[in-house]
Amino acid sequence: MKKGKISMTITIGIVCFLLVMIIFMQFKVVRQSEETNINTMQEAELRQELANWKIKYEEAKEKYDETSETLKTYKEESTSDNQTKETLEKELENLEMALGKTNVEGEGVIITLNEKTEKELADEEEITPINAQDLIYIVNYLKDAGAEAISINGERIVNNTYIVDIVGESIIKINSKYLRTNSYEIKAIGNSSYLESSIFGKGGYVEQLNTTGINAKIERSNRVRISKYEGDFETKYMQEKELETKK
Amino acid sequence: MDKKVEAIILAIMCFILTIGICIQINTVNNNGSTVSGSQQENNLKSQVLKMKEKYENQYAELERAERELEKERENIASSNTELAELESKIKKANLLLGNTNVTGTGIKVTLSDGKADPKILDAENLIVHAENVLAVVNEMKNAGAEAISINEERVTNTTAISCDGNIIIVNGKKVGSPIQITAIGFVELLSNLNRPGSTLETFKNNGKIVDFKKNSNLEIPKYTGVLNFKYAKTVK
Repeated sequence: MKKGKISMTITIGIVCFLLVMIIFMQFKVVRQSEETNINTMQEAELRQELANWKIKYEEAKEKYDETSETLKTYKEESTSDNQTKETLEKELENLEMALGKTNVEGEGVIITLNEKTEKELADEEEITPINAQDLIYIVNYLKDAGAEAISINGERIVNNTYIVDIVGESIIKINSKYLRTNSYEIKAIGNSSYLESSIFGKGGYVEQLNTTGINAKIERSNRVRISKYEGDFETKYMQEKELETKK
Repeated sequence: MDKKVEAIILAIMCFILTIGICIQINTVNNNGSTVSGSQQENNLKSQVLKMKEKYENQYAELERAERELEKERENIASSNTELAELESKIKKANLLLGNTNVTGTGIKVTLSDGKADPKILDAENLIVHAENVLAVVNEMKNAGAEAISINEERVTNTTAISCDGNIIIVNGKKVGSPIQITAIGFVELLSNLNRPGSTLETFKNNGKIVDFKKNSNLEIPKYTGVLNFKYAKTVK
Protein backbone atom coordinates (compact mmCIF):
# COMPACT_ATOMS: atom_id res chain seq x y z
CA MET A 1 0.00 0.00 0.00
CA LYS A 2 2.66 2.49 1.05
CA LYS A 3 5.02 1.33 -1.66
CA GLY A 4 2.38 1.91 -4.29
CA LYS A 5 1.84 5.45 -3.14
CA ILE A 6 5.53 6.29 -3.32
CA SER A 7 5.92 4.95 -6.84
CA MET A 8 2.81 6.86 -7.90
CA THR A 9 4.19 10.10 -6.44
CA ILE A 10 7.47 9.59 -8.25
CA THR A 11 5.70 8.92 -11.55
CA ILE A 12 3.61 12.06 -11.19
CA GLY A 13 6.74 14.01 -10.26
CA ILE A 14 8.50 12.87 -13.43
CA VAL A 15 5.51 13.69 -15.62
CA CYS A 16 5.23 17.16 -14.13
CA PHE A 17 8.95 17.73 -14.67
CA LEU A 18 8.69 16.70 -18.32
CA LEU A 19 5.70 18.94 -18.87
CA VAL A 20 7.50 21.92 -17.36
CA MET A 21 10.50 21.23 -19.58
CA ILE A 22 8.31 21.18 -22.66
CA ILE A 23 6.75 24.48 -21.71
CA PHE A 24 10.15 26.08 -21.29
CA MET A 25 11.28 24.77 -24.64
CA GLN A 26 8.19 26.24 -26.21
CA PHE A 27 8.87 29.60 -24.62
CA LYS A 28 12.34 29.57 -26.06
CA VAL A 29 11.08 28.87 -29.57
CA VAL A 30 8.60 31.71 -29.34
CA ARG A 31 11.23 34.14 -28.11
CA GLN A 32 13.67 33.20 -30.82
CA SER A 33 11.18 33.77 -33.59
CA GLU A 34 10.41 37.21 -32.20
CA GLU A 35 14.05 38.19 -32.13
CA THR A 36 14.38 38.66 -35.84
CA ASN A 37 11.48 40.62 -37.19
CA ILE A 38 12.74 39.75 -40.63
CA ASN A 39 10.82 36.50 -40.27
CA THR A 40 7.52 38.28 -40.48
CA MET A 41 8.36 40.24 -43.61
CA GLN A 42 6.60 39.58 -46.87
CA GLU A 43 8.32 38.94 -50.14
CA ALA A 44 7.89 42.45 -51.54
CA GLU A 45 9.21 43.96 -48.33
CA LEU A 46 12.17 41.62 -48.41
CA ARG A 47 13.05 42.64 -51.94
CA GLN A 48 12.89 46.29 -50.92
CA GLU A 49 15.04 45.57 -47.88
CA LEU A 50 17.59 43.73 -49.99
CA ALA A 51 17.77 46.62 -52.47
CA ASN A 52 18.20 49.12 -49.62
CA TRP A 53 21.10 47.23 -48.06
CA LYS A 54 22.68 46.83 -51.45
CA ILE A 55 22.60 50.58 -52.10
CA LYS A 56 24.01 51.23 -48.64
CA TYR A 57 26.76 48.70 -49.23
CA GLU A 58 27.70 50.26 -52.55
CA GLU A 59 27.80 53.73 -51.04
CA ALA A 60 30.03 52.53 -48.21
CA LYS A 61 32.28 50.76 -50.69
CA GLU A 62 32.59 53.83 -52.87
CA LYS A 63 33.39 56.02 -49.89
CA TYR A 64 35.91 53.49 -48.64
CA ASP A 65 37.74 53.42 -51.98
CA GLU A 66 37.82 57.20 -51.99
CA THR A 67 39.15 57.33 -48.42
CA SER A 68 41.81 54.74 -49.19
CA GLU A 69 42.90 56.73 -52.22
CA THR A 70 43.28 59.89 -50.13
CA LEU A 71 45.10 57.97 -47.45
CA LYS A 72 47.54 56.62 -50.00
CA THR A 73 48.36 60.12 -51.21
CA TYR A 74 49.16 61.27 -47.68
CA LYS A 75 51.22 58.23 -46.87
CA GLU A 76 53.39 58.01 -49.94
CA GLU A 77 56.75 59.58 -49.40
CA SER A 78 57.00 60.70 -52.99
CA THR A 79 53.98 62.98 -52.51
CA SER A 80 55.09 66.60 -52.62
CA ASP A 81 53.82 69.24 -50.21
CA ASN A 82 51.89 70.73 -53.06
CA GLN A 83 50.07 67.50 -53.80
CA THR A 84 49.28 67.08 -50.12
CA LYS A 85 47.89 70.57 -50.04
CA GLU A 86 45.72 69.92 -53.08
CA THR A 87 44.35 66.73 -51.58
CA LEU A 88 43.55 68.47 -48.30
CA GLU A 89 41.83 71.25 -50.20
CA LYS A 90 39.75 68.75 -52.13
CA GLU A 91 38.72 67.01 -48.92
CA LEU A 92 37.75 70.32 -47.41
CA GLU A 93 35.77 71.31 -50.49
CA ASN A 94 33.73 68.09 -50.34
CA LEU A 95 32.94 68.68 -46.68
CA GLU A 96 32.03 72.30 -47.29
CA MET A 97 29.70 71.25 -50.07
CA ALA A 98 27.96 68.90 -47.65
CA LEU A 99 27.69 71.75 -45.14
CA GLY A 100 26.14 74.05 -47.73
CA LYS A 101 29.09 76.44 -47.88
CA THR A 102 29.48 76.18 -51.66
CA ASN A 103 27.24 77.03 -54.61
CA VAL A 104 25.97 73.82 -56.15
CA GLU A 105 24.33 72.80 -59.39
CA GLY A 106 22.66 69.62 -60.59
CA GLU A 107 19.50 67.75 -61.53
CA GLY A 108 16.51 68.78 -59.48
CA VAL A 109 13.26 70.67 -59.20
CA ILE A 110 12.05 74.22 -58.71
CA ILE A 111 8.77 74.54 -56.86
CA THR A 112 6.82 77.77 -56.74
CA LEU A 113 4.04 78.45 -54.25
CA ASN A 114 1.67 81.34 -54.88
CA GLU A 115 -1.61 82.46 -53.42
CA LYS A 116 -4.47 81.99 -55.88
CA THR A 117 -5.91 85.04 -57.57
CA GLU A 118 -9.58 85.79 -56.99
CA LYS A 119 -10.48 84.30 -60.36
CA GLU A 120 -8.75 81.04 -59.52
CA LEU A 121 -10.47 80.67 -56.16
CA ALA A 122 -13.40 78.30 -56.08
CA ASP A 123 -16.62 79.34 -54.34
CA GLU A 124 -16.23 79.79 -50.63
CA GLU A 125 -12.58 78.93 -50.87
CA GLU A 126 -10.36 81.10 -48.74
CA ILE A 127 -6.67 81.70 -48.75
CA THR A 128 -4.67 80.56 -45.76
CA PRO A 129 -1.25 82.19 -46.13
CA ILE A 130 1.70 79.83 -46.36
CA ASN A 131 3.15 79.42 -42.90
CA ALA A 132 6.37 78.11 -41.42
CA GLN A 133 4.87 74.67 -40.86
CA ASP A 134 4.06 74.26 -44.57
CA LEU A 135 7.66 75.00 -45.44
CA ILE A 136 9.00 72.69 -42.71
CA TYR A 137 6.89 69.84 -44.06
CA ILE A 138 7.89 70.46 -47.66
CA VAL A 139 11.59 70.58 -46.76
CA ASN A 140 11.20 67.35 -44.79
CA TYR A 141 9.45 65.62 -47.71
CA LEU A 142 12.20 66.72 -50.05
CA LYS A 143 14.89 65.42 -47.68
CA ASP A 144 12.98 62.15 -47.42
CA ALA A 145 13.14 61.94 -51.23
CA GLY A 146 16.92 62.29 -51.05
CA ALA A 147 17.40 66.01 -51.70
CA GLU A 148 21.10 66.89 -51.52
CA ALA A 149 20.65 70.66 -51.36
CA ILE A 150 17.57 72.81 -50.72
CA SER A 151 16.90 76.52 -50.68
CA ILE A 152 13.83 78.65 -50.02
CA ASN A 153 13.82 82.05 -51.71
CA GLY A 154 17.57 81.80 -51.98
CA GLU A 155 18.12 80.87 -48.34
CA ARG A 156 20.11 77.66 -48.22
CA ILE A 157 18.79 75.01 -45.82
CA VAL A 158 21.74 73.93 -43.65
CA ASN A 159 22.04 71.77 -40.57
CA ASN A 160 21.10 74.50 -38.10
CA THR A 161 18.33 76.04 -40.21
CA TYR A 162 15.04 76.70 -38.47
CA ILE A 163 11.85 78.03 -40.02
CA VAL A 164 9.49 79.96 -37.76
CA ASP A 165 6.48 82.26 -38.02
CA ILE A 166 6.89 85.70 -36.57
CA VAL A 167 3.61 85.91 -34.75
CA GLY A 168 1.46 88.92 -35.57
CA GLU A 169 3.38 89.94 -38.65
CA SER A 170 2.70 86.90 -40.81
CA ILE A 171 6.26 86.74 -41.96
CA ILE A 172 8.56 83.75 -41.91
CA LYS A 173 12.07 83.66 -40.54
CA ILE A 174 14.62 81.26 -42.01
CA ASN A 175 18.28 81.19 -40.91
CA SER A 176 17.56 84.42 -38.99
CA LYS A 177 16.53 86.16 -42.24
CA TYR A 178 13.01 87.55 -42.60
CA LEU A 179 11.01 86.65 -45.70
CA ARG A 180 8.31 89.25 -46.23
CA THR A 181 6.43 87.68 -49.11
CA ASN A 182 3.44 85.59 -50.09
CA SER A 183 5.21 83.61 -52.76
CA TYR A 184 7.94 81.11 -52.34
CA GLU A 185 10.45 79.47 -54.62
CA ILE A 186 11.85 76.21 -53.28
CA LYS A 187 14.77 74.66 -55.11
CA ALA A 188 16.05 71.14 -54.52
CA ILE A 189 18.82 69.08 -56.09
CA GLY A 190 18.43 65.32 -56.34
CA ASN A 191 16.59 62.72 -58.40
CA SER A 192 13.92 64.94 -59.94
CA SER A 193 11.21 62.30 -60.23
CA TYR A 194 11.62 61.24 -56.59
CA LEU A 195 11.56 64.87 -55.53
CA GLU A 196 8.45 65.59 -57.56
CA SER A 197 6.49 62.58 -56.35
CA SER A 198 7.37 63.32 -52.72
CA ILE A 199 4.93 66.24 -52.62
CA PHE A 200 3.11 66.29 -55.96
CA GLY A 201 2.04 62.66 -55.85
CA LYS A 202 -1.49 61.55 -55.08
CA GLY A 203 -2.35 62.48 -51.51
CA GLY A 204 0.80 64.60 -51.39
CA TYR A 205 1.19 67.87 -49.60
CA VAL A 206 0.35 69.94 -52.69
CA GLU A 207 -3.20 68.56 -52.70
CA GLN A 208 -3.60 69.88 -49.19
CA LEU A 209 -2.18 73.31 -50.10
CA ASN A 210 -4.62 73.48 -53.00
CA THR A 211 -7.58 73.37 -50.64
CA THR A 212 -6.20 76.32 -48.69
CA GLY A 213 -5.94 78.58 -51.72
CA ILE A 214 -2.32 77.97 -52.66
CA ASN A 215 -1.18 77.18 -56.18
CA ALA A 216 1.87 75.00 -56.47
CA LYS A 217 3.87 74.53 -59.64
CA ILE A 218 6.90 72.40 -60.29
CA GLU A 219 9.54 72.51 -62.93
CA ARG A 220 12.15 69.81 -63.45
CA SER A 221 15.57 70.80 -64.64
CA ASN A 222 18.97 69.28 -65.23
CA ARG A 223 20.64 72.42 -64.02
CA VAL A 224 19.16 73.70 -60.82
CA ARG A 225 21.53 76.13 -59.16
CA ILE A 226 21.47 76.66 -55.41
CA SER A 227 23.58 79.32 -53.74
CA LYS A 228 25.65 78.77 -50.67
CA TYR A 229 24.82 79.56 -47.07
CA GLU A 230 26.08 83.05 -46.34
CA GLY A 231 26.21 82.75 -42.57
CA ASP A 232 28.87 81.30 -40.31
CA PHE A 233 28.72 78.16 -38.28
CA GLU A 234 29.64 78.72 -34.69
CA THR A 235 30.05 76.11 -32.02
CA LYS A 236 30.50 76.94 -28.38
CA TYR A 237 28.89 74.16 -26.44
CA MET A 238 29.63 70.90 -28.20
CA GLN A 239 32.97 69.24 -27.85
CA GLU A 240 34.29 66.39 -29.89
CA LYS A 241 34.37 63.30 -27.77
CA GLU A 242 37.79 61.71 -27.81
CA LEU A 243 37.81 58.18 -29.10
CA GLU A 244 38.30 55.57 -26.47
CA THR A 245 41.12 53.07 -26.73
CA LYS A 246 41.63 52.55 -30.41
CA LYS A 247 41.69 49.01 -31.62
CA MET B 1 -10.96 11.58 1.89
CA ASP B 2 -7.28 12.30 1.68
CA LYS B 3 -7.12 10.50 -1.64
CA LYS B 4 -9.98 12.52 -3.03
CA VAL B 5 -8.28 15.83 -2.28
CA GLU B 6 -5.09 14.56 -3.83
CA ALA B 7 -6.86 13.49 -6.99
CA ILE B 8 -8.56 16.88 -7.33
CA ILE B 9 -5.26 18.74 -6.93
CA LEU B 10 -3.64 16.53 -9.53
CA ALA B 11 -6.51 17.04 -11.93
CA ILE B 12 -6.27 20.82 -11.56
CA MET B 13 -2.52 20.78 -12.12
CA CYS B 14 -2.80 18.64 -15.22
CA PHE B 15 -5.52 20.91 -16.55
CA ILE B 16 -3.40 24.05 -16.11
CA LEU B 17 -0.39 22.41 -17.71
CA THR B 18 -2.44 21.27 -20.66
CA ILE B 19 -3.86 24.74 -21.21
CA GLY B 20 -0.34 26.15 -21.01
CA ILE B 21 0.86 23.76 -23.67
CA CYS B 22 -2.12 24.44 -25.90
CA ILE B 23 -1.55 28.21 -25.76
CA GLN B 24 2.11 27.75 -26.58
CA ILE B 25 1.40 25.47 -29.51
CA ASN B 26 -1.09 27.96 -30.82
CA THR B 27 1.39 30.87 -30.74
CA VAL B 28 4.08 28.79 -32.35
CA ASN B 29 1.69 27.73 -35.08
CA ASN B 30 0.77 31.33 -35.78
CA ASN B 31 4.43 32.23 -36.07
CA GLY B 32 5.16 29.11 -38.02
CA SER B 33 3.07 30.18 -40.97
CA THR B 34 5.41 33.09 -41.61
CA VAL B 35 8.56 31.40 -40.42
CA SER B 36 8.44 28.57 -42.89
CA GLY B 37 6.99 30.51 -45.84
CA SER B 38 8.00 29.54 -49.29
CA GLN B 39 11.44 28.40 -50.27
CA GLN B 40 11.94 31.61 -52.21
CA GLU B 41 11.16 33.75 -49.21
CA ASN B 42 13.68 31.88 -47.10
CA ASN B 43 16.20 32.38 -49.79
CA LEU B 44 15.47 36.11 -49.87
CA LYS B 45 15.77 36.33 -46.12
CA SER B 46 19.24 34.87 -46.11
CA GLN B 47 20.19 37.19 -48.96
CA VAL B 48 19.00 40.20 -46.96
CA LEU B 49 20.97 39.10 -43.92
CA LYS B 50 24.06 38.48 -46.02
CA MET B 51 23.84 41.87 -47.68
CA LYS B 52 23.32 43.55 -44.33
CA GLU B 53 26.41 41.84 -42.98
CA LYS B 54 28.36 42.80 -46.07
CA TYR B 55 27.37 46.44 -45.52
CA GLU B 56 28.26 46.31 -41.83
CA ASN B 57 31.70 44.89 -42.56
CA GLN B 58 32.31 47.48 -45.25
CA TYR B 59 31.14 50.25 -42.94
CA ALA B 60 33.46 49.09 -40.16
CA GLU B 61 36.32 49.08 -42.64
CA LEU B 62 35.39 52.58 -43.77
CA GLU B 63 35.38 53.81 -40.16
CA ARG B 64 38.83 52.34 -39.62
CA ALA B 65 40.12 54.04 -42.76
CA GLU B 66 38.62 57.35 -41.67
CA ARG B 67 40.30 57.14 -38.29
CA GLU B 68 43.58 56.41 -39.97
CA LEU B 69 43.04 59.32 -42.34
CA GLU B 70 42.46 61.64 -39.41
CA LYS B 71 45.70 60.55 -37.78
CA GLU B 72 47.54 61.02 -41.05
CA ARG B 73 46.15 64.56 -41.38
CA GLU B 74 47.28 65.33 -37.83
CA ASN B 75 50.76 64.13 -38.76
CA ILE B 76 50.84 66.42 -41.75
CA ALA B 77 49.57 69.33 -39.67
CA SER B 78 52.27 68.90 -37.04
CA SER B 79 55.02 69.37 -39.60
CA ASN B 80 53.63 72.17 -41.71
CA THR B 81 51.84 75.28 -40.41
CA GLU B 82 50.25 76.13 -43.74
CA LEU B 83 48.67 72.71 -43.98
CA ALA B 84 47.75 72.79 -40.29
CA GLU B 85 45.19 75.45 -41.07
CA LEU B 86 43.54 73.23 -43.67
CA GLU B 87 43.58 70.32 -41.25
CA SER B 88 41.81 72.29 -38.55
CA LYS B 89 39.19 73.45 -41.06
CA ILE B 90 38.55 69.84 -42.06
CA LYS B 91 38.22 68.92 -38.42
CA LYS B 92 35.70 71.67 -37.80
CA ALA B 93 33.68 70.73 -40.88
CA ASN B 94 33.48 67.13 -39.71
CA LEU B 95 32.35 68.30 -36.29
CA LEU B 96 29.61 70.45 -37.83
CA LEU B 97 28.48 67.71 -40.20
CA GLY B 98 27.88 65.29 -37.37
CA ASN B 99 30.76 62.99 -38.25
CA THR B 100 32.04 62.83 -34.67
CA ASN B 101 30.61 61.84 -31.31
CA VAL B 102 30.09 64.99 -29.25
CA THR B 103 29.49 65.92 -25.62
CA GLY B 104 28.20 69.06 -23.95
CA THR B 105 25.45 70.73 -21.97
CA GLY B 106 21.88 70.62 -23.16
CA ILE B 107 18.40 69.22 -22.80
CA LYS B 108 16.64 65.94 -23.28
CA VAL B 109 12.98 65.79 -24.29
CA THR B 110 11.18 62.47 -24.06
CA LEU B 111 7.87 62.00 -25.83
CA SER B 112 5.65 58.98 -25.36
CA ASP B 113 2.12 58.06 -26.32
CA GLY B 114 -0.51 58.99 -23.74
CA LYS B 115 -2.87 56.56 -22.08
CA ALA B 116 -6.44 56.43 -23.33
CA ASP B 117 -8.49 59.01 -21.42
CA PRO B 118 -12.24 59.54 -21.76
CA LYS B 119 -11.72 63.30 -21.31
CA ILE B 120 -9.60 63.49 -24.43
CA LEU B 121 -11.80 63.27 -27.47
CA ASP B 122 -9.29 62.80 -30.21
CA ALA B 123 -7.20 59.68 -29.69
CA GLU B 124 -4.94 60.77 -32.57
CA ASN B 125 -3.63 63.49 -30.28
CA LEU B 126 -2.38 60.94 -27.77
CA ILE B 127 0.03 59.43 -30.22
CA VAL B 128 3.48 60.88 -30.93
CA HIS B 129 3.65 61.58 -34.66
CA ALA B 130 6.62 62.30 -36.90
CA GLU B 131 5.30 65.87 -37.27
CA ASN B 132 5.58 66.35 -33.50
CA VAL B 133 9.19 65.26 -33.53
CA LEU B 134 9.87 67.52 -36.51
CA ALA B 135 8.37 70.47 -34.61
CA VAL B 136 10.55 69.84 -31.55
CA VAL B 137 13.70 69.55 -33.69
CA ASN B 138 12.85 72.83 -35.46
CA GLU B 139 12.37 74.57 -32.09
CA MET B 140 15.66 73.20 -30.81
CA LYS B 141 17.45 74.61 -33.84
CA ASN B 142 15.64 77.90 -33.26
CA ALA B 143 17.05 77.85 -29.71
CA GLY B 144 20.56 77.43 -31.07
CA ALA B 145 21.08 73.67 -30.72
CA GLU B 146 24.48 72.65 -32.06
CA ALA B 147 23.87 68.91 -32.19
CA ILE B 148 20.61 66.95 -32.05
CA SER B 149 19.83 63.28 -31.90
CA ILE B 150 16.59 61.32 -31.93
CA ASN B 151 17.11 58.20 -29.85
CA GLU B 152 20.52 57.20 -31.20
CA GLU B 153 20.12 58.78 -34.63
CA ARG B 154 22.07 61.99 -35.27
CA VAL B 155 20.08 64.71 -37.01
CA THR B 156 22.16 65.98 -39.93
CA ASN B 157 21.60 68.36 -42.80
CA THR B 158 19.92 65.65 -44.88
CA THR B 159 17.97 63.90 -42.11
CA ALA B 160 14.28 63.37 -42.80
CA ILE B 161 11.80 62.48 -40.07
CA SER B 162 8.98 60.50 -41.58
CA CYS B 163 6.56 57.78 -40.66
CA ASP B 164 5.64 54.35 -41.90
CA GLY B 165 2.26 53.59 -40.44
CA ASN B 166 2.75 54.02 -36.73
CA ILE B 167 6.52 53.85 -36.79
CA ILE B 168 8.72 56.94 -36.89
CA ILE B 169 11.69 56.79 -39.24
CA VAL B 170 14.83 58.90 -38.86
CA ASN B 171 17.74 58.62 -41.29
CA GLY B 172 15.89 55.71 -42.88
CA LYS B 173 15.96 53.76 -39.62
CA LYS B 174 13.04 52.82 -37.44
CA VAL B 175 12.98 54.61 -34.10
CA GLY B 176 11.22 53.00 -31.16
CA SER B 177 9.04 54.56 -28.50
CA PRO B 178 9.61 56.50 -26.27
CA ILE B 179 11.18 59.11 -28.53
CA GLN B 180 14.15 60.80 -26.87
CA ILE B 181 15.25 64.02 -28.52
CA THR B 182 18.57 65.29 -27.23
CA ALA B 183 20.10 68.68 -28.00
CA ILE B 184 23.47 70.17 -27.08
CA GLY B 185 23.67 73.94 -26.79
CA PHE B 186 23.07 76.87 -24.44
CA VAL B 187 20.84 75.36 -21.73
CA GLU B 188 19.10 78.61 -20.74
CA LEU B 189 18.03 79.20 -24.34
CA LEU B 190 17.06 75.58 -24.98
CA SER B 191 14.94 75.69 -21.83
CA ASN B 192 12.59 78.03 -23.71
CA LEU B 193 11.13 74.88 -25.24
CA ASN B 194 9.48 74.19 -21.91
CA ARG B 195 8.03 77.65 -21.28
CA PRO B 196 4.27 78.17 -20.77
CA GLY B 197 2.36 78.06 -24.04
CA SER B 198 5.10 76.11 -25.76
CA THR B 199 4.67 73.28 -28.22
CA LEU B 200 5.65 70.82 -25.49
CA GLU B 201 2.88 72.15 -23.27
CA THR B 202 0.38 71.71 -26.10
CA PHE B 203 1.52 68.10 -26.41
CA LYS B 204 0.92 67.61 -22.68
CA ASN B 205 -2.52 69.18 -22.88
CA ASN B 206 -3.33 66.81 -25.73
CA GLY B 207 -2.59 63.86 -23.49
CA LYS B 208 0.90 62.93 -24.63
CA ILE B 209 3.50 62.14 -22.01
CA VAL B 210 6.30 64.71 -22.10
CA ASP B 211 9.44 64.70 -20.02
CA PHE B 212 11.89 67.61 -20.05
CA LYS B 213 15.33 67.45 -18.46
CA LYS B 214 18.36 69.70 -18.42
CA ASN B 215 21.69 67.96 -18.42
CA SER B 216 25.23 69.22 -18.04
CA ASN B 217 26.86 66.20 -19.57
CA LEU B 218 25.09 64.88 -22.65
CA GLU B 219 26.50 62.65 -25.30
CA ILE B 220 25.35 62.61 -28.90
CA PRO B 221 26.59 59.92 -31.28
CA LYS B 222 27.93 60.58 -34.73
CA TYR B 223 25.91 59.98 -37.85
CA THR B 224 26.24 56.35 -38.87
CA GLY B 225 25.83 56.29 -42.57
CA VAL B 226 27.50 57.56 -45.68
CA LEU B 227 26.98 61.12 -46.82
CA ASN B 228 26.88 60.73 -50.56
CA PHE B 229 26.37 63.36 -53.19
CA LYS B 230 25.40 62.04 -56.59
CA TYR B 231 23.53 64.97 -58.10
CA ALA B 232 24.95 68.13 -56.60
CA LYS B 233 28.26 69.47 -57.89
CA THR B 234 30.09 72.47 -56.55
CA VAL B 235 30.19 75.40 -58.96
CA LYS B 236 31.78 78.83 -58.70
